[in-house]
Amino acid sequence: MPELSRRDFLKLARDGFLYLSGALTLGGLLRFLDYNPGPAQKIAFALGSASNYPLGSRTSLPEIPAFLIHSEKGFTALSLVCTHLGCTVASDAKGFACACHGSSYDADGQVMHGPAVLPLRSLRIEITEDNQLILHTD
Amino acid sequence: MRKLVVFASGILFLSLSLAWWMNSRQPKPIELIPVLTGQPEYCITCHADLPEISASHPVETFGCVSCHGGERLALNADLAHSTMRGGANPSDLSVAEISCGGSSCHSGSEADDRDHIQRVMTSVQSTYAGAIANIRFTFGAQADLSAHFGINAITDVQTQTGIPSLASFEATADANPMILKFGENCLTCHINALAREGDSFARQNGCAACHSNGQHKLTTAISYTQCNTCHNRGNYDLRTMTFIQRTDQPAKRVDDYYQPIAQFTQCEYTLDCIDCHTRSEVMGDGDIHANKKDIQYVQCKTCHGTPTELPLTKTIEDPNDIAVKMGFLNPVVNIKTGDKILVTEKGEPLWNTRVLSDGTYEMIGKATKQKFNFRPVLGSSCTQTGEDQSSTYCHECHAVER
Repeated sequence: MPELSRRDFLKLARDGFLYLSGALTLGGLLRFLDYNPGPAQKIAFALGSASNYPLGSRTSLPEIPAFLIHSEKGFTALSLVCTHLGCTVASDAKGFACACHGSSYDADGQVMHGPAVLPLRSLRIEITEDNQLILHTD
Repeated sequence: MRKLVVFASGILFLSLSLAWWMNSRQPKPIELIPVLTGQPEYCITCHADLPEISASHPVETFGCVSCHGGERLALNADLAHSTMRGGANPSDLSVAEISCGGSSCHSGSEADDRDHIQRVMTSVQSTYAGAIANIRFTFGAQADLSAHFGINAITDVQTQTGIPSLASFEATADANPMILKFGENCLTCHINALAREGDSFARQNGCAACHSNGQHKLTTAISYTQCNTCHNRGNYDLRTMTFIQRTDQPAKRVDDYYQPIAQFTQCEYTLDCIDCHTRSEVMGDGDIHANKKDIQYVQCKTCHGTPTELPLTKTIEDPNDIAVKMGFLNPVVNIKTGDKILVTEKGEPLWNTRVLSDGTYEMIGKATKQKFNFRPVLGSSCTQTGEDQSSTYCHECHAVER
């Protein structure tokens, strides 16, 4: 086995360190570029066929959270996010009530008593050509 | 030169390896995007096991950072906690305005009943004005008991009490050694003081002093034991100007908690303090007061009336009445419009009471939910004259034998 000279050893060490450093840097760069910040917040929700929501129905959609109303006026939707500080309101016999600070809204989302001062936000409903409902929260 | 290049490349490799290793040790972040801020935060990566702070502050809505501060995207504990407000207690009064304030939260207008922080800052619980004046008067530093100093300087621009401001009390300005000792030993116990060192003291100032029992919980159902955390957990020794903390474990309330030299009626050792004492007495009314006596006003007659007059009552007419709001936050009673309740001389609602159809009254314990029925003095055999209706006179006949 040929004897490794001091010069060759230093060269090998230098190259080894530099190659490994390069590999680590490349790995870090790939990891950075590969970073997935998670899906963007969803702003459109497919609710299925409009026929699933008959006239007169009032449907809570807690996963959005929203409330779908099918009345004589057609389909309307209300956000279930309280306009006071953002807690999720629940539907009750009178309309909607916030469990955090006691705001209450009537069945149309208008404030009955505070601390909220603004009505529940109306959300846009789109009906596609094949009679599918899409709720937009933007 | 060759050796230097090898050394430098070795250092580079070691640095990169160290960075890689430290990065790989970080936990996988768990993201929360609170509705209120809409900004992602990673706090629950490590703190998912903490209980919900209160029903009014759900974490999905508030997150952690809006109250606590901190570096919301940091996964290193030291970095994440480096900019937290008030350490473990964001309600420390030095930071409460940022942590708990805001016109939709706890520092809004008086009209909206949202001036909590402003009222607390001027309250005697915060200023300690009465005790400071007493000590300075006792040891000759001032000629009377009027209030000139608080733990911190405070101003009341719309004074109703004639005290427009208090200067910051600096014990070192007084030469008397007893006042110096008072400054050293006795200023850490009030809610606007710096918390004493140690985890057990971390939540004993600011809002948490009353509204938290030392855990990650906020409540308005405050039991007497919470009040006793400060009130009568030991004795002040005026000779040595030290506080002698009690070491026993109180078991029987009237014997173990209350000073033997004072008298107490059954109400006073059965009910919780907050069942009778009102929010303005405890949290202040927005004015600077000279001492506790100036703000504490509820007496036996507030609920029982006098031999000649029934206690004051009010029928709830407005669903936004403060009584309804307070009943909502601590739902021991279902208070609603049409209910008739007792009110204090200053018009504050005793929202946990009811006027019953037979002319008696009912009180529901705010912390215990226990029901208590009681009668007015009017029509009873009480012979106390109309003028002598402070609680001291009631104690003459109704104090418990000890």
